[in-house]
Amino acid sequence: MPLPRLQILPWNQPLVHAVTGWLARGWNGEGPLDLADTLVVVPTSQAGRRLREALAACAAHKGQAVFPPRVRMPDQLTSPDAPAVGAAVAASRAELLLAWTETLRDADLDTVREVFPLDPPERSFAWAVRLAREFIRLQTTLAENGLRMADVAERAGEDFPESARWRQLGALETACDAALAAHGLRDPQAMKIAFAEAPALPEGVRRIVVAGTPDPLPLALRVLAAHAAAGVPVEVLASGPADDALFDGWGRPVAVAWATRLFSPVDFEQRVRLCADPAAQAGAIVSCVLGYAGPGGRLAVGVADAEVLPSLENGLARAGVPAFNPDGRPLRGEALHTLLTALSELAGREPTFASVAALLRCPDVLAWLGGDSARLLAALDDLHAEHLPPTLAAARAQVSDAGLAKAIESVVRLRALLLVGVFPDNVRTVLTEIFKEHRFDQTRPEDARAIETAQVWATVLTELEAAVRRFQGLVASDVWELALRALGDSPRFDEKPDGAVELQGWLELLWDDVPHLVVAGMNDGRVPEAVVGDAFLPEGLRERLGLKTNAARFARDAYLLHALAAFRTDGRGRLDLLFGKTSAAGDPLRPSRLLMQCADADLPARVAFLFGHAEAARPSPAWRRAWKLKPRADAKIERLSVTAFRDYLKCPFRFYLKHGLRMQAVDPHKAELDAMDFGTLCHAALEAMGQPDSPVRDCTDAAVLRGFLLEELERTARALYGEQPVLPLVVQLESARQRLAQVAEIQAQLRAEGWVIERSEWKFEIDLGGLPVRGKIDRIDRNELTGAVRVIDYKTSDKPVNPADAHVREPRRTENVEALPEFARVFSGGEEAIWTDLQLPLYREAVAVEFGHAVECGYFNLPKAAGETGVQVWDGYDADVQAAAMRCARGVAAAVQARRFWPPAELPASANDDFAGLFHEGAEASVEWTQEGDA
Amino acid sequence: MKPIGHKMILASAGSGKTYALTNRFVQLLAHGAPPERIVALTFTRKAAGEFFDEILNKLARAARDPQEAARLAKDIGEPQLGAADFLAMLRTIVGAMHRLALGTLDSFFAKVVRAFPLELGLGGDFEILQEHGVQLERQRVLRQLFARTGVELYDAQKEFIEAFKRATFGAEEKRLSARLDRFINEHQNIYLNSPDGKAWGNPKRIWPEGCAWLSKNGSVRGAAEVVRRWAAGAGASEKQRKRWDDFLESHEAWKPGAELADPMKYLLPKALEAWVTLGEEPVELVVERKKQVLPPEIGAALKVLVRAVFAGELTRRLEMTQGIHTVLRGYEAFYNDLVRRAGKLTFADVQRLLMPETGAPRLTAGGRAEDGRLFVDWRLDAKYDHWLLDEFQDTSPAQWSVLRNLIDEAVQDPEGRRSLFYVGDVKQAIYAWRGGDPRLFREIFDHYNAVAPGTIEEGRLDQSWRSGPAIVSVVNRVFGDAAVLARLVPGPTADRWTREWRDHESAKPKLGGHVAWLHGDDDEARAALTVRLLSEIEPLERGLSVAVLVQSNDAATWLADYLRREGGLPAVAASDLHVCTDNPLTTAVLALLQAAAYPGDRFAWEHVRLTPLAGVVAAAGEGGADGLTRAVLHQVHEDGFARTVETWLRRLEPVLAADDAFSRERARQLTEAAQRFDETGSRDVAEFVQFAERHVVRDAETAAVVRVTTIHKSKGLGFDVVVLPDLEGTALATRRRDGLAVQRTPEREVEWVLDMPPTLFHENDPVLSAHVDEAKADAAYEKLCLFYVALTRAKRAMYLITKPVGEKSTSDNFPRLLTETLGTAGLAGAVRIGAWTGEVFFSEGDAAWFQAIAHQNSAGADAAAGPSELATLSGVVAAKRHPVRTPSGTKVDVVTGAALFGATSSGAANFGTAVHRALAAVEWGGVTPELLAVWKTAGLVETVVAEAGACLEARGLAEVFARRSGGEVWRERMFEIVIDGAWITGVFDRVVLVRDAAGKVVEATVYDFKTDRTTAEQAVQVTERYAGQMGIYRRAAARLAGLPEARVRCVLVLTTLRGAVEVAGGGAD
Ligand code: SF4
Repeated sequence: MPLPRLQILPWNQPLVHAVTGWLARGWNGEGPLDLADTLVVVPTSQAGRRLREALAACAAHKGQAVFPPRVRMPDQLTSPDAPAVGAAVAASRAELLLAWTETLRDADLDTVREVFPLDPPERSFAWAVRLAREFIRLQTTLAENGLRMADVAERAGEDFPESARWRQLGALETACDAALAAHGLRDPQAMKIAFAEAPALPEGVRRIVVAGTPDPLPLALRVLAAHAAAGVPVEVLASGPADDALFDGWGRPVAVAWATRLFSPVDFEQRVRLCADPAAQAGAIVSCVLGYAGPGGRLAVGVADAEVLPSLENGLARAGVPAFNPDGRPLRGEALHTLLTALSELAGREPTFASVAALLRCPDVLAWLGGDSARLLAALDDLHAEHLPPTLAAARAQVSDAGLAKAIESVVRLRALLLVGVFPDNVRTVLTEIFKEHRFDQTRPEDARAIETAQVWATVLTELEAAVRRFQGLVASDVWELALRALGDSPRFDEKPDGAVELQGWLELLWDDVPHLVVAGMNDGRVPEAVVGDAFLPEGLRERLGLKTNAARFARDAYLLHALAAFRTDGRGRLDLLFGKTSAAGDPLRPSRLLMQCADADLPARVAFLFGHAEAARPSPAWRRAWKLKPRADAKIERLSVTAFRDYLKCPFRFYLKHGLRMQAVDPHKAELDAMDFGTLCHAALEAMGQPDSPVRDCTDAAVLRGFLLEELERTARALYGEQPVLPLVVQLESARQRLAQVAEIQAQLRAEGWVIERSEWKFEIDLGGLPVRGKIDRIDRNELTGAVRVIDYKTSDKPVNPADAHVREPRRTENVEALPEFARVFSGGEEAIWTDLQLPLYREAVAVEFGHAVECGYFNLPKAAGETGVQVWDGYDADVQAAAMRCARGVAAAVQARRFWPPAELPASANDDFAGLFHEGAEASVEWTQEGDA
Repeated sequence: MKPIGHKMILASAGSGKTYALTNRFVQLLAHGAPPERIVALTFTRKAAGEFFDEILNKLARAARDPQEAARLAKDIGEPQLGAADFLAMLRTIVGAMHRLALGTLDSFFAKVVRAFPLELGLGGDFEILQEHGVQLERQRVLRQLFARTGVELYDAQKEFIEAFKRATFGAEEKRLSARLDRFINEHQNIYLNSPDGKAWGNPKRIWPEGCAWLSKNGSVRGAAEVVRRWAAGAGASEKQRKRWDDFLESHEAWKPGAELADPMKYLLPKALEAWVTLGEEPVELVVERKKQVLPPEIGAALKVLVRAVFAGELTRRLEMTQGIHTVLRGYEAFYNDLVRRAGKLTFADVQRLLMPETGAPRLTAGGRAEDGRLFVDWRLDAKYDHWLLDEFQDTSPAQWSVLRNLIDEAVQDPEGRRSLFYVGDVKQAIYAWRGGDPRLFREIFDHYNAVAPGTIEEGRLDQSWRSGPAIVSVVNRVFGDAAVLARLVPGPTADRWTREWRDHESAKPKLGGHVAWLHGDDDEARAALTVRLLSEIEPLERGLSVAVLVQSNDAATWLADYLRREGGLPAVAASDLHVCTDNPLTTAVLALLQAAAYPGDRFAWEHVRLTPLAGVVAAAGEGGADGLTRAVLHQVHEDGFARTVETWLRRLEPVLAADDAFSRERARQLTEAAQRFDETGSRDVAEFVQFAERHVVRDAETAAVVRVTTIHKSKGLGFDVVVLPDLEGTALATRRRDGLAVQRTPEREVEWVLDMPPTLFHENDPVLSAHVDEAKADAAYEKLCLFYVALTRAKRAMYLITKPVGEKSTSDNFPRLLTETLGTAGLAGAVRIGAWTGEVFFSEGDAAWFQAIAHQNSAGADAAAGPSELATLSGVVAAKRHPVRTPSGTKVDVVTGAALFGATSSGAANFGTAVHRALAAVEWGGVTPELLAVWKTAGLVETVVAEAGACLEARGLAEVFARRSGGEVWRERMFEIVIDGAWITGVFDRVVLVRDAAGKVVEATVYDFKTDRTTAEQAVQVTERYAGQMGIYRRAAARLAGLPEARVRCVLVLTTLRGAVEVAGGGAD
């Protein structure tokens, strides 16, 4: 094999300049710098970009421009520029996946027991596709050295313990190849390997230059060797010391030479820094960036450990410094991806309400629907809270808000479009519909981004369309899954903002020429990269197969480190190396082994330095209040409900928040009835029982009553929650049924004792010192035998409630009772007590007009335990209690009118406090209350 | 070389466990063991990190200093070794760093599973769910489960509902989801350890001999009648009669699960006390302080009533337990489908995969493959010869079962080239709730030594290198008094403890210090006293480390804040902080997100209005609800939560006080939480808010601070000064109330699971009471361990602060143990600590110990604290970075949604590209057979060929392709150029150059092909649209051809119109 010619370029200048200079040598500046006949191999696309920019700049010095060389990365050498006509077509990624999926699902696992000693949990599409990805990755790795699965057993040698396993993998691969061949397709890796046997040179190329590529694929070298053999001049450029022993003919660092080369810059301890964690590394870099007024061209950042990246990007964003990551970022999480995910759920068998809600919260869908988005979403939340619809269909059936109804119809229409058409046309139709009014303007960065994403999506669809046409038998959800995954995994490349700090991966740095380079994440395993433990290709096998080994990676990375440092010396530049003590998740990290490549005599000191303590972060600052809440004090409270008294007695300030500011939360995760819903549901049936026209008002037959109540319950439940309530509701309805069945027993008994329902759901209004108070009494009973009257409230809590206990409480141990308003205190039985509720006394007051003062009051408890169902009358209720209660009620009314909402009560943590989240370190301390008129 | 041997070491607190472990590692290296063949496993990632650091530092010290080398050589029993040898070892281990098997058990297991996914029945590679991931997944599973409707409920789900009702008998039903969440949290682990339903609530398992309570019973009604009649007569007193009546009444009303009413509580124990003779002979009971004799037939009837209560309660518990199992099975099935099968595993899942009883193949490092064993040596590129296990008392039987095979091979290696070394302290076994079982320690030792006596050597380390004599003396007094322990804890506990107890000894007898037991009545008083002590001692100023240890996270958070606020001390709570919700700033930002995504949420809206955020929202021009909703949702969907949150926090920045470092820290932490959430890819605001509410972080660990932490987390650490203000608590022997009772066989297999009934019931059943006694004994042992850990953290001084134990107190809690071992209850006298004088119960050592330690000069501390910035360079030439422009980027282009997403979008682009390619193949002139052949080889489709052919033939385009004399064509020619400081990369479709006779270019025409559909009317627009682009082409062509721009023509070739339009310009030069 004619060997390529190796040129070692001096590394005391940046590689990109050295290569540019070499390519431009002999060019005198007359006419363009014409390199059109040259193919230059560089390691990464970013390197190619750097080279082309440097060439343009080089020509510009002489007022000229460039016909650039063909710039290729090694793996691009292994396929032709344009596929030959008539040859088999390379399978796309999607086709390959589907071929493997088919192969794996059809395989008789008993014939491949070395690969699958156990049956997989389920041979589903998801299983197969996951494994297919694994196998494709494996094929790609093997192809780096021109191997296929089938070759492994033979190449691995005699004593290879897993040859049976690999033979079976080879058999699976053959089956996959056959599946592809059935559709006129070929495995792309196989094609690369075949191409490398007799590679074609791109048209017009007369010579090849391999520049600064320390780690080319072996298969690419095979291609280059073939070209060289065919007489094409191949020149290899490496930068380094002028010592042939350091590189092989392909410019690859020689492992033994670099593995022992010492890395001992004089100012080692000033250049290498131990940081506690990714955030600390990011922090150090951010403050460094801020040290440069405009870092463009002066500072670049290398990120050897991707884990540092998010912290770094956020840190820079916070500091207002634009950053640029030439690696791009995955499209997962892009608005279009989120929208498509929601659409895929809409296309499912029975779209859930949650997926509809997710879809409606996509900004593009909101824009498409038009109108007031906030109103629409609020209506959606109401629908959810009131009816808990499980599905799109249920939501459609329950919706009452006109705007929301329209929106839901639109969603239904989208679903129809999705279901009617064939993938991917249906998706295209739907997207076209959603974006029909949208005009994407290239000049707006946001739109430009959307356009790019849309184009990737179009490519994904086209590829998938062809694949699905060939490999049939996929269900829609499988196709969606593939499409979303393909889109999500595709990278998005942002445009580089002018003057941005570049954040590049370790392998990109060789081609950077900024004077100051900071590399974060110099931890072992990242630099040098080390692969340990692999289900298929452990290190031992990699070695046997001539694949990249840890030793080779070590040599490459050692070389890179030296090269990065080489020209950043003597005040002309600076290289800083940061490494972390722990990962973000708290795993301990170790410094790069490269940093320990020193003379033995220095090693102990080096180790002591590198394995020292991470610099101390400062102690956390003491808790401090950023601000006090400032409620407006002018919210009007013009009437009270009977139940509001309880709130005031609990805490006047929370009362104001609830009844004045009307603070009421939405629970987005509501999945079942809350206590109020449950009560309402039971009440509805009970109300119907007590209506004047009720057929069962005088019924004493428990069975009939039960029948009536349950039917009413059923009717209400169906009206509210549809035919198909969600699972927890099924449980709750069951509970309601049991409770009502028990009520039937008691009611029959009550009627037999002479109690007649006089009023049901009786609304009233009374006046307390000018403040109207409204309420609704569940029922008023009169005993036809004794003439006694009683006011009854239904209680559906799980435990029975004693009326007296619900209305007054004992003072808490730590409570300063004196501080409470006079009206809230009551002496009962010689003991001091505190009013907590006034419901029954107010009812009693309201009915006095019609029924006099001697009315009893109490609760009809419908608790869980059947035995405890029944009416519990407030024992010992007399005129004194009533008087005290009304004094309290008037006190509350007067206080509300006087707008006395301060100070708040400090409730114990155990209290059921809806407002707890607002307060930190005390309710009173959290709020700055300015009484109206005070300010 | 002689075999290195196996060793078990029982190491007391502070006795140099790490020292022994690292020495062992060095010893193995000295024996020539390659470092990658040594497996060293610990429990925490932190310990693993420290272990490795310590090995390297130890070798580095020895390599540098001959004296250190000599000491180390002696310690490891290889006195011939010198600094050079240790340097060589250092080099070896550094070189093998990436291959070391040195880490946590969890990560070791994960590594094994990753190497054998298919062998272990996984579908492929997997990811490990972190804590927050687990929570999110659980929420999602529950939500999915709940979104099912009644009609489509599977049978399994109906069963699930029924089971849940059974499992939660009598409990709240209305908050089903929250309850279920808690329920699963509590019970899931037990289920996973024992998925087999046969162990759950199975009376045959619990009472293999039969349960007397569940045996056949007489008629309850009849028995009640008999008792009633007897009680009414028989000369009983009025009070006695009422007792019996009440009893019978409440007996009738009682249902299983309900609390026993007082009359039952009164009579049942009396009946149970006389149980043996009851019904056999006349039995005397004392009722209402007077004796009553029950004749045998009445006794028998009473027995029927009592048995009915027991049978009722036990049956219900059995049913509930079965119900719990069914619920968990249902949930697990769902979880399995949605999470595990998608390749998301927890560390616990990983471990379970490897456990032999789940049917997984056994691990092995060598031998033959006859039984499907997994060969870790090949797949992991590692042969494991030596095993070092740290904190062995925390190893669970499950973990041991995984390791057993691999370690067996080492212990039973006939040639003794392999070894086992395990170390730990059975007195510090505080992780029993996580499955750790300190009994394994001895069992393994006994097991191997029974086979071949002397296989494992036992070592003990009882000398404390941590604590001074005062501390050690107190530890010995409190924990070494067998008699007192026997009084305060169950017998088996005291035995276990005392069996392994050895008095400790301080290795630093000269170290000054002090132990005092002080008096503080409540939390506030104890906190105040802590502040006082620390401000007198000034440990930080003296360069001493200090910790305050408490029993719960909440206590740590509260106390740390108290110390910071009231004491001005730099205290750090090493506990979980809810950083997103513990302050007004971040709660407001979360409220804003909530209000925007759920505009109906008046709470969130008003919350925002209560804060300065309202002004910020208005200033940002998002005043209205609609505007805010759109803006926030838009930002979240475009950029994710981190950027969104960041934006609003930045807008709030001016509102914060200049010195409010706390709120700024919280702001940063919220962004960080958002960043983590963004990694999940979710854009669901409610999910994010929920995530943030649950997000916790731990304050950073730092040197010069007062660390407030739980005793649990202090394990393994030592401090110069330790304050213990939270030692109260329940009796030492208190069974954990939460959760189910799990009875295991001696082999640690789950024998039965039962929702344990209340005391009266389990006390009176021999099987259940045996279980409870055992559980209490275990709990007491763990409690002792906990307090042992607490009392062994201090190096120099320790301050215990408790309430005084009353003379009559019967609570056998820790202060009681202190009282009985350190002195009688009551104050021992006054002690002076700095300027403070106070009463103490006990004091030992020198109360003024700290005065001998000088304040450190602060300059030194500063230098250590402030990390130097990464310097910036000045005066160095910057690398050239040109702004990038592409010619196509200069065009103003607007695309409609239809064009972007429609079916034709990619088709049109492909067609256009193909036409370009076809035309690029043309040098001059019309369609020739050669050209057609070229097109065919290029694989161009019919329509493209037709289009390109038509262009070549079109009259309007004749000029474009017409051969010119002296003409030269550039086709699809790339160029790079710098124009106006910007770097431009472009491709000419076609340029025709004309040269003069001298060969000099005199004229150039740039043709640019446009293949989009254009109408004639649009032609003018088109030229406008492309004017910028063509301007660049003109300048580039001029430069490349060496012409003035005026000599370059630019022509747009509109292929669909088959026409050419010249674009004017170029007068500039
Ligand atoms: S900037 Fe251009 S001209 Fe100057 S050395 Fe670099 S490549 Fe050569």
